[in-house]
Amino acid sequence: MTCSRIGFFALALIIAAALATPLLAHHSFAAEYDSKQPINIKGAVTKVEWMNPHVYFYIDVRDEQTGKITNWAFEMGAPAVIQRNGWTRNSMKIGDLVIVEGTRAKSGAPHGNARSVTLAATGKKLGAGSSEGQVPEQ
Amino acid sequence: MRNHRLHIVIITGVLGLFLLPFALTAQDAGAGARGGQRGAGGARGGRGGRGAAQPSAPTPRWPDGRVNLDAAPGQKGFWNVMQGNVVGRNGSALPTNLTLDEVPFQDWARSVYEYRQSRQGLDDPHARCYPAGGMRFFTVPNGLNIVDQPELNRIFLISGENRDWRRIAMEPGRKHPPEDQIVPSYFGDSIGHWEGETLVVDTVGFNERFWVIRGGLPHTRFLHLVERFTRVNYNSLKYEVTIDDKGAYTRPWSGGWLIPWQTVNYDNSPGGEIHEYFCHDNERDSERFDLDETRSK
Repeated sequence: MTCSRIGFFALALIIAAALATPLLAHHSFAAEYDSKQPINIKGAVTKVEWMNPHVYFYIDVRDEQTGKITNWAFEMGAPAVIQRNGWTRNSMKIGDLVIVEGTRAKSGAPHGNARSVTLAATGKKLGAGSSEGQVPEQ
Repeated sequence: MRNHRLHIVIITGVLGLFLLPFALTAQDAGAGARGGQRGAGGARGGRGGRGAAQPSAPTPRWPDGRVNLDAAPGQKGFWNVMQGNVVGRNGSALPTNLTLDEVPFQDWARSVYEYRQSRQGLDDPHARCYPAGGMRFFTVPNGLNIVDQPELNRIFLISGENRDWRRIAMEPGRKHPPEDQIVPSYFGDSIGHWEGETLVVDTVGFNERFWVIRGGLPHTRFLHLVERFTRVNYNSLKYEVTIDDKGAYTRPWSGGWLIPWQTVNYDNSPGGEIHEYFCHDNERDSERFDLDETRSK
């Protein structure tokens, strides 16, 4: 294995670690989201709320079989937290096609906690500051 | 064989990435115990105290020799409160902390605690943006500054989290108001004094509308906290607390953790200044907690 391949592999691991690093939210992850319901979903951005305690964004997701469009809401970390991952308030714009990996809400509503967001146009993937995987506190 | 060695190197590197903050915090404490002789204070720093890679500067002092619990003149920074637990010995916790099974719960308090745990935080008042009262003040994110005003006999603890603050009265000989005159509150009535290098704060008068810590430790109106703040070196503040609550525990008990100093902004940009964070701005979780409640009935 060449040095450049080793470097690439190590860099990929570091990025994966950064994406997976749990972050403290103002509420318990398990109170609202079901880790047994992972989501990988694609849709067009309809709204972005760049606010504390969580950035929210909304996407229209089309059911390939029925053609029905559902508006999904996704929670991310606080703005300052996801800025560490390279986000700015303009990273995602209305109409952008995005692929969201995350976890669905226990309520069963079209709502989830985003772990990462990939911009379909560029392939750029950014960690979303999820608190999933955080060790429950005693 | 070469591949095997490569895998070991990579796995070790990734593990190191995760463990670095804790290792550095421990290093800070050790440096503090040795008195920390080198370096100018506070020019380094990072999230979770990562900037403390070099040996910390010594504890800063005011011209009269008192310990300075915040940035040295001309410096910036804040205490990166967030990770800390009075129970258990993981991460930045003090090695003298009790484990959960050693906490002297009264029977009802243990039952309440276990119920809160079983609900996975669904009932946590702070998840609905109520203040992180009492000692939980030191376990929420967004930074903390300590403003010492000896000429006014007071110290303010200013948190970035909802811009909450605590006031510690420092008048010599000051007493708490009589119990029947205190309006129960999230942060209570605090009186402080110095014991050598340590700021000691005695607080009573708490309401029962918050959890002692995120995990759900209960308390009653009898809660009495004695907190001890010791800056072991520039980059590390030792927080120790004694929980004295005859309503919930069979005896007073103690724990604590180390809080790291940070010299970049909360988003990791240059600065070292706490920022505005209001939980109520876009709080959408509680309505979903209620949905879950409906669903589970």
